[in-house]
Amino acid sequence: MSDRVELRLGFIPLVDCAPLVVAVEEGFFADEGLSVTLSREASWANIRDKVAVGALDGAHMLGPMVLAASLGSAGLVTPTVAPLALNAGGSAITVSRALAAELRDIAPATTPCSAGPLAALIAARAAAGTPPLSFAVVFPYSIHNYQLRYWLAEAGIDPDRDVRIVVTPPPRMAERLRSGEIDGFCVGAPWNAVSVLEGAGEILIRASEFWRGAPDKVFGVTRAFAEARPDTLQAALRALLRAGVWADSPGNRGALATMLASPRYVGSPEATVAASLMRPGAEGQAPVADPIVFHNNAASFPWRSHAVWFLTQMLRWGQIGEAVDIPALARSVYRPDLFRTAAASLGLAAPLVDEKVEGAHAAAWTLDEATAPIPMAGDLFFDGKVFDAGQPLAYARSFAVGRARSPEM
Amino acid sequence: MRVLVIDPDPARAALVAEGLAGVDPLDVRQSAIFNAAEALAFGPDVIVVACDSPDRDTLESLREATQTNPRPIVMFADRSEPGLAEQAVRAGVAAYVVDGLAPGRVRPILDVAMSRFSLMQQLRGDLAKAKADLQSRKTVDRAKGLLMKERGLDEEAAYGLLRKLAMDKGRPIGAVAADLLAFAGILKGDGA
Repeated sequence: MSDRVELRLGFIPLVDCAPLVVAVEEGFFADEGLSVTLSREASWANIRDKVAVGALDGAHMLGPMVLAASLGSAGLVTPTVAPLALNAGGSAITVSRALAAELRDIAPATTPCSAGPLAALIAARAAAGTPPLSFAVVFPYSIHNYQLRYWLAEAGIDPDRDVRIVVTPPPRMAERLRSGEIDGFCVGAPWNAVSVLEGAGEILIRASEFWRGAPDKVFGVTRAFAEARPDTLQAALRALLRAGVWADSPGNRGALATMLASPRYVGSPEATVAASLMRPGAEGQAPVADPIVFHNNAASFPWRSHAVWFLTQMLRWGQIGEAVDIPALARSVYRPDLFRTAAASLGLAAPLVDEKVEGAHAAAWTLDEATAPIPMAGDLFFDGKVFDAGQPLAYARSFAVGRARSPEM
Repeated sequence: MRVLVIDPDPARAALVAEGLAGVDPLDVRQSAIFNAAEALAFGPDVIVVACDSPDRDTLESLREATQTNPRPIVMFADRSEPGLAEQAVRAGVAAYVVDGLAPGRVRPILDVAMSRFSLMQQLRGDLAKAKADLQSRKTVDRAKGLLMKERGLDEEAAYGLLRKLAMDKGRPIGAVAADLLAFAGILKGDGA
């Protein structure tokens, strides 16, 4: 006898699917009267299309993919909404040990790591007629693609001309790096740690160093689902919010690593998953959680400024044209209003603003424009650039390397 | 027309490829994983890909024409036949086509792929059922043997008793037989 509401939610085996897994394993979905089946999917395209046709009710999704799906940039076109972010940080750019050694020969590594030595190497290789280096990302519409491109371009490398960027499924990244098919990649946890622990790769720059608090995955449902089943959506959001709080509690990170390592979920050795969740502590100290955040610092809030930033990068790299109404699209897809309702019913603090200036805080700060003050972490970009969501076009055109340049330039 | 079938399940890929060979003047190739260099050399007009292949994301990235890939490849989602792409995704198959290919040429290929996918699913289902039936028959035989030995029944009476138990409990006879064997094992001290 059950009057539970059945939901099918999709995920990709990555550490940032954690809130979905925790909400199932810790019974947070059950507390809300939801009977959730998690479906492990083989590709982001599959997730997008299954959500679009209703074979999945919702899923772990890439923030930029949700925007692209709503715009009809590829595949099945469906207005989709993101009422909650699943994580901030967690991804990194990793290169083969051979390439890392070559880069160190050119110049000692800096923190945060600059692509300057790589630019020098690429120029030398081009002069010698050596084929271009290959880098892999997980999906064209992903923070990983934009993070890699931004980082390369900051050092004057044109990602479309000077290197090859290919798309590779996350579980194949490590083997392709080992075999030499690719020279580096940008991917989410735990796949950077997998390559490091295998001795095949070295991490050059983590998302938390590229852009502290960098947004990544969201929980996505179709707009039709959000409108037809608002109570079910709120129940799911409450469960996911509680899961994020649970996952960020330092005492739970060990249990989280065990949970995610299971073959039903990420299916990687527990030590690898743990390495992605924790940063080694000071000598003799316990490891500290930090590389990936699920709830703290308003990490689960669907900031519209993040949606706008993704759209500026799509514009920068020619994935969308200037005709796209960026603020309108960000408003229709990222739904902080739905988040606030869920947070309020749990008594959790929620931001009262939809956007924030990104890259303006070097140190920890407090967000006062919230139902209760929220402690925030710094949010600097590694190049010191500041992003104001009010000026997307000017921002997209402000980069020396990119396709979105002012007509007179 | 050249069709490339990408499917991590080689038996299913073979079934699809075989089905397609009868459709048109076609050159059909199959592969477990998508290899960009091989695919480029073959130059497919249509790529049929199993939805459980992780290569879909790579295919999604081929929509931008580049020097190495001068013909953009897009997911087939023809709006003149609403629901076709949806139907295909639900069937577990997606198609990517060279941009600009006439939708009418893709339809028969998708139809074959979908029907072969469902045929394969049915075959696998039948096989699983046959295995389960066989297993169940073995279990029933063993339970029958146990009853004959412990209760001194003949074969017909032992089977009749099992059937009665199954009917009383509203459960399959194989499940009742398995329970009986498990209990007998516990009484004998197995697994305790």
